[in-house]
Amino acid sequence: MSKETSSRFKVLMDLPMNIWRSIFRNPLPSSDRGRAATSFTNFFLHIQPVRVSRQALRPSYTMGLGLISFFLFVILTVTGVLLMFYYVPSTGMAYDRMLDLRSSVAFGVILRNMHRWAAHAMVAVVFLHMCRVFFTGSYKPPREFNWLVGVALFLLTLLSSFTGYLLPWDQLAFWAITVGTSIAGYAPFVGKTIKFILLGDATVGQEALLRFYVLHVVVLPLVLTLTVAVHFWRIRKDGGLAKPEPEAALPAPQVEVMVTEAVPELVPAAASASVAPARKFTIQGLVRGPLVKVGKLEEDTVFSWPNLLIAEMVVLLITVVGVMAVSYFFNAPLEQPVNVMHPPNPAKAPWYFLGLQEQVSYSAFWGGIGIPGIELLLLILLPYFDRGKAGVGRWFARERILANSVFLLFVIINIILIVIGTFFRGANWQFVSPF
Amino acid sequence: MRLALAVVSLVVLIGSGVVVYDQFHSRWEDNQKAYFNQALELAKTPAERASVAAQTPKIEQTIVTAFGTTRIDRCESCHIAVDDPRFTSAKQPLHTHPYSEAMGDVPKNGRWERRHKFTDFGCTSCHDGQGRGLEKADAHGEEEFWPDPMLGYTTQSNWKKDIAAHVQGKDYMQANCAQCHTSKDFAGTPLVSQGRELFFKTGCYGCHRIEGVSSGTLGPDLTEVGKERKLDYLWGHIVNPRDYTATSIMPKFKLSDDDKKALVVFLKSRRGSSLSESSVESYRLTTTNVTPAMPGTTTLAGMAPVLAPAARGEKLIGDLACMSCHKLGDRDGGISPDLSYEGLMRDQPWLMDHFRTPRSRVPDSNMPAFGLPEEDFQAITTYLLTRTTPPPAMSAADAYKNLCSRCHGEKGDGRGINAIYLDPAPRDLTSAEFMVNKPDARFVASIHDGVGGTSMPAWGKSLNDDQIKGVLDYVYQAFVKEPRHQLKARKVPEQNPVPQSAASDAHGEAIFMERCTGCHGRKADGHGPNSLDISPRPRNLRNAAFMQRVSDHRLFESVEYGVEGTAMPSWMDYGLSQSDVGDIVNYIRSLNQTGK
Repeated sequence: MSKETSSRFKVLMDLPMNIWRSIFRNPLPSSDRGRAATSFTNFFLHIQPVRVSRQALRPSYTMGLGLISFFLFVILTVTGVLLMFYYVPSTGMAYDRMLDLRSSVAFGVILRNMHRWAAHAMVAVVFLHMCRVFFTGSYKPPREFNWLVGVALFLLTLLSSFTGYLLPWDQLAFWAITVGTSIAGYAPFVGKTIKFILLGDATVGQEALLRFYVLHVVVLPLVLTLTVAVHFWRIRKDGGLAKPEPEAALPAPQVEVMVTEAVPELVPAAASASVAPARKFTIQGLVRGPLVKVGKLEEDTVFSWPNLLIAEMVVLLITVVGVMAVSYFFNAPLEQPVNVMHPPNPAKAPWYFLGLQEQVSYSAFWGGIGIPGIELLLLILLPYFDRGKAGVGRWFARERILANSVFLLFVIINIILIVIGTFFRGANWQFVSPF
Repeated sequence: MRLALAVVSLVVLIGSGVVVYDQFHSRWEDNQKAYFNQALELAKTPAERASVAAQTPKIEQTIVTAFGTTRIDRCESCHIAVDDPRFTSAKQPLHTHPYSEAMGDVPKNGRWERRHKFTDFGCTSCHDGQGRGLEKADAHGEEEFWPDPMLGYTTQSNWKKDIAAHVQGKDYMQANCAQCHTSKDFAGTPLVSQGRELFFKTGCYGCHRIEGVSSGTLGPDLTEVGKERKLDYLWGHIVNPRDYTATSIMPKFKLSDDDKKALVVFLKSRRGSSLSESSVESYRLTTTNVTPAMPGTTTLAGMAPVLAPAARGEKLIGDLACMSCHKLGDRDGGISPDLSYEGLMRDQPWLMDHFRTPRSRVPDSNMPAFGLPEEDFQAITTYLLTRTTPPPAMSAADAYKNLCSRCHGEKGDGRGINAIYLDPAPRDLTSAEFMVNKPDARFVASIHDGVGGTSMPAWGKSLNDDQIKGVLDYVYQAFVKEPRHQLKARKVPEQNPVPQSAASDAHGEAIFMERCTGCHGRKADGHGPNSLDISPRPRNLRNAAFMQRVSDHRLFESVEYGVEGTAMPSWMDYGLSQSDVGDIVNYIRSLNQTGK
């Protein structure tokens, strides 16, 4: 009797600990094996390698731009879902809902501001991330495909931001989208069709609003999430972040060889793992096998737990603080409700397309379709032509001075065009001074 | 890194705290607490005191479902004392809503009983504003994009200062009273009635349509203008239409501030469907053909047998407020031509045609076609034809000042007070290059016979030949200031030597499309792409009333030699042969034969 009671009491006493252990299999790690196991067995951490090179952790190397882009995307998803509870994609109600968000919805102002500013920031940061990858030569083999995925992500980011631009249904939105889709209409052969499919009508109206809404909240985020997953996965499979030549030279070819070897081995390993879960570290060895050869541990690496994790947390929190601070002090723009009869003069596209609009003002086809198309093609083909190994993993490597200069020129020209389009263009697209 | 993490975590924590505090610290709670404290002091019985003490701040809201779309009014969250008669002298927001017998409130057993109970009507039905807002700026609609700021109380930050001063005061709320009290002579809405009268008196109805009220087509439909526009726009647009719409053709009417106010209130009350009207009623309104219900129309019809047509016409001119635009005697609207000598300038058919369709006689006229009964037109015509007293004899300078300067300007520069409303614009008499290169006979003819299809009337019956000559001399001496040229004889045919034919028209059209459309426009209406930069404006070649009075000789001369002082070049220099010009003249003539 008393024995039974005491055992029941013990069950009750152990309950919290048992629940805790069922969730977190490892205690806080104190040994290297423990640190490895923590990274390896945790769902959220297993996307990261167990060990990470010091180079990748150095803030001056990556500036955390890729991570910031991702965290901005997370912020956008969270605030976006919350905003969806209030938004109605109808020309009759959308603007009223904006006014409601600004006045009678709890946290409505800060949510909308965060969503808007984070969206602008994401376009900028993704672009800067691309610049970082170029200037450090990180797109070179074996990372060519991940560069392509990155270019796709940049376009998806632009599209997501552009589709979201219409949703407030104010003058800014309506005319920016009118201008933006008109630029798309300049494409040869398919331009008119693309414009019609986007708008569902000859002009921006209810159909366009609904289409942009569905694209913005379902289609594009889904595609973006998948593409981000591929992007991250490829980072691991391509051997982590790009490193300077001496280290990168050796393991790079081994990766591909070892992956094909590892695939058949993986099946029995998984089966044995389910029989004897206690021997987890053997799986760790198997999977890590292809990346780091036994006995040839990469030098200059540290454990991801806690070094990488803390760095990531800092980047996350800085991103959140930045977006929140801007959102607290600056309201997202909102203009008069749509008035189809009175276009503002000048009607401007969103800022990231103002470079395009500036080019369009010189030549509709070449500015809107020809030159951007060529630029995009060059970005896509770049890693397949520039295959030299020199200068990988270093900022502005002397060996890559030509490539870097050309790319820098391209970046500067585009920024100048955007600045001109944003600040120096007045009524009838006349040149005006903002001062 | 760990230190950075700690610092950033702290910042995030504090930041979130600030945002949450911002969201949940509300002024209305403070207002309610202040109210409870004062109510506690005022309470007389312990029971009353206990009931006040038991209250805690909460959002007070009224949900109104009886009018149109459902309203949610939370105004009483701050204005919690609106129905507490003890707070009549308290400061806002804890002020009792006034009781008013005019609004139907009745004293009962020592207490007032409201006719418009807040539980039935809410607050925004009368006051506008944003019912759901819980911050003052939101609730009162101070934000510039909120469509309905509190009527007569709240001015938005982007309103012009001088206008904002005019559109304040509770009178403006009559526009909302009129949403339910739709009868024309409702005692509570005198400004709406006055505005409605002005709408007819100042001729607004001629251009603007309001469902169930008027059917003008020249200007925008005002049926829902009260829903679409705010007070500042309505006021400002009446004061100076071009401030708001640069291309507006609406004249700047001379109105007193009281009249402007009444018009603004009337317009603000036009919100399309009225809340109290059933859909069947509004349907009936849309389907009945609206003839403008002029104030006093019935009495005018009734007095027809009593008054002679001329007297009736004179009265009509007064009642219809023709002098909101025109000049007649010493009353001058400053927009349209002087009617004082109309009997000497126009004849019966011209006036009647012009009344029925002003543009049949002056193709670019801005006068609306008022849909009056034919006998009213006849009466006004009869009256105008009695205006045959010529102006008294006076010096040439005075004649110019009194008769010409209203259009051609004091300085003769073609910028008289009403010049911007006239199309074609009055001639700039200071343009020496034009003036010295034309024969005197042409100017004399223009003054004597008028210029067809324009607002220049024939002065031949008002001024004798000497007077005309005198005025012309005065113009040369005062404005042109250059001696007249000895005109060289030009080789120009009197009659178009090219006979009218389909082939000739087609060739003329081809040349016209190639050479002339830049200024005269593809429709030959004078509105080509370059026309905006040209002064004087290119001639509207579809102005039949003008073109039919212009001789072939003048057309040939203008095309072949150009017109000095204007942008019209000499086309002979550009290689047009005489037969080419003949084809063009045939083409232009063919454009103006319709209706003949």
